[in-house]
Amino acid sequence: MLNKFDIQIREGQEHAVIETAGYLNDALGEKLSEKARELIQNGHTQLVINLEKTTLINSIGISILIEIIEALEEREGTLNFCGLSATQERTFKMMALAKYAGIFPDEESAIANL
Amino acid sequence: MKDPSKSLGANLQTHKTQSTAEQTMERLIFSLSELENLGQTLISGHTNFNHSSKTYLRITLGTLQIRRGAILRYHPTQQNLDVVAVTPDEIFPPVPVEPDELTALLQHAFIENAAPPEPLKHFFDRSAKLAEVIDIRLWVPLKIQDEFLGMIGLGKFLARDALEAWEKELLTTLAHQISIAIAYSQMVEGIQSEKFRLFMLAESAPQICQLLQPEEAAEQVVHQAVSLLDANAGALMLTNTDRQELEMNYAFPETLLEQTTTSPGSGNGRFISYGENASIPEELTSIDMLKSVVTEGLPGHCLPESDTLFGGRNLMAVPIPGRDGDILGILVVGDKEERGGRIAAFTDEDVILLDSFAKQAGVAIENARLHQEALEARQLQAEMEEARKIQENLIPDRLPDIPGYEVAGHYEPRGAVGGDYYDCIALPTGRWGLAIADVSGKGMQAALLMATLRAGLISELSRVKNIATENVEQNASTQGPLYTEIADMAMTLNSLLYASGTEEKYATFFYSHLNPETDILTTLNAGHNPPLLVRKDGTYKWLGEEVGGIPLGMFPNDMVSNIAEYEAEHVELMSGDVVVYYTDGVTETVNIEDDYYDEERLVEASIACKDEDAEGIRASLHKAVMDFQGEADQFDDLTLLILRKK
Repeated sequence: MLNKFDIQIREGQEHAVIETAGYLNDALGEKLSEKARELIQNGHTQLVINLEKTTLINSIGISILIEIIEALEEREGTLNFCGLSATQERTFKMMALAKYAGIFPDEESAIANL
Repeated sequence: MKDPSKSLGANLQTHKTQSTAEQTMERLIFSLSELENLGQTLISGHTNFNHSSKTYLRITLGTLQIRRGAILRYHPTQQNLDVVAVTPDEIFPPVPVEPDELTALLQHAFIENAAPPEPLKHFFDRSAKLAEVIDIRLWVPLKIQDEFLGMIGLGKFLARDALEAWEKELLTTLAHQISIAIAYSQMVEGIQSEKFRLFMLAESAPQICQLLQPEEAAEQVVHQAVSLLDANAGALMLTNTDRQELEMNYAFPETLLEQTTTSPGSGNGRFISYGENASIPEELTSIDMLKSVVTEGLPGHCLPESDTLFGGRNLMAVPIPGRDGDILGILVVGDKEERGGRIAAFTDEDVILLDSFAKQAGVAIENARLHQEALEARQLQAEMEEARKIQENLIPDRLPDIPGYEVAGHYEPRGAVGGDYYDCIALPTGRWGLAIADVSGKGMQAALLMATLRAGLISELSRVKNIATENVEQNASTQGPLYTEIADMAMTLNSLLYASGTEEKYATFFYSHLNPETDILTTLNAGHNPPLLVRKDGTYKWLGEEVGGIPLGMFPNDMVSNIAEYEAEHVELMSGDVVVYYTDGVTETVNIEDDYYDEERLVEASIACKDEDAEGIRASLHKAVMDFQGEADQFDDLTLLILRKK
């Protein structure tokens, strides 16, 4: 799972879900950032990032997630995360990502709370 | 925040009616307001400069009444300028900066695009496309002290050819603010990265130490190290001290394992020999570096150009210390990445970080190993218990009454299951088969081998007819039917055990065929300790000492014939004669001084108690052995079988 990276987009009427798979480093992070930018430019300011298939994140991945949060904040949008491992959840809280984005156990609840 | 375009429009509208002083005053007030906005942007909490750079550009252009411009941010690791904000919004490639150009850029506060200083002419050539599209007139290097941070490029000035002196002062202030924003962004990024690393270091320790499966612990150790060091690859190599070799235990990505396959001793990355013969040359390759880490116990690293191990990555490795100060293995990370996908060199701080993590990894690996060993020990214990039950069920609860004879047996399991066995089997026509055996190995396999031996023996004794019909005259010859039948039975049992076990699984076996009517005891020894015959008069002899074959199940039948064929012999028992059958647990009992009980003491003790009944002899011999053993530990089973002619 970690050796391959992939991004899936699921667009709803008022929201979009970005699901990542693999190591969230610079390579996957840039792809994620690019997709998020496209969605925001297309008017999707309610985003969910599903990290269920991403068990490994490095500091560059974290900084890219912070950038997405900032980009959405500027458009008064909302970002929710889901599918985090316990360690990831603690990391997101410690890195203050949880201050500006919601954390939910699954995609369904993350969408419902946008 | 004011809209600069509106302010600009307002300025133009009133241009004709307002005096120059009034216009200047109005623009100064606007500029002060925009400077406040700039400060607000700086402290807004946005940590990423690239993200807020558009705001800085908009404020700068609005303040100075310029329509087009760009902000470029310098990346020291890649030595180029990224165009992070530009009006009009277009994408431009990064502009490389040479080291001497960097020096020149730091020397100027403003640079006219039309008249670049000599050392910057090539730089201006490289940035010509950007300058052309934006129509850049003036460049402003961004810096704090001697650190070059980027540049502002300004297009055509509205309604004037050049900036006035006070505008240049304002531009200097704006440039300084933007420089602070870039430096602040860099600092925050650095702090965030360090915060992340320290948190991950603190978080990973208890997490990996809780993992109880060695494979899972190895995987998590590598993953955490890769994440911690912003690396793109990692590996855990554990030492094999017997082979003096490092063996790849887990690698990320797993394709690394496929790239570094084949066998131990090949020195190809998956297996690296670090023994005495594995010399380390002065010019280190990646493999040499990894060897030196394990032999010297110090961190090491090498650059991508060193060689091609792990696909030519730049590697850093640290030793993984064990509790006893030994080195369990090495932890390797490769390709430290930077934002933008560039590969950076590992720093001294990285070495310290990975070294700290490796100490925790050592605890985790040892914990997992200890847990695994405990599990295996528990499993072995359970297996031993099962084996013990099987074994004990094979030993007769009570021995039969043989007319004219007394028999007594003693079986005492001690320590691990050894596989002793004895039996006294009633044959048709009143004959008796007495057997004693010691199965090699321990645990369930030994117990099953013993069960196989017993089943084979009973089957053979019920099937072979001549054994029950022998007579003294026939037995006088080694070619007699009883001798032949007993030897054949031994071959059958040998074949049975050989087929059911490995080379290490065999049994020493002594069989006695007793005819109570004739008092002839016909015996066959298959590698067992020779039983002791003590005559009523105190003389003694060892049975099967000279005529004996090899243990059962050790070799196939055709080889047994070539090595030492099984042969029977017989002895006639008189009233008061005693035969002491035993296993090596008796003669190899050790005392506190590490002396063996041995055959000599067995003879002395047997002679001393020969006049007792069989049960009394059994008890006396057992006591003699126990007295000899004293406080010493004993690990082998102790088995005695006594046959006494009344």
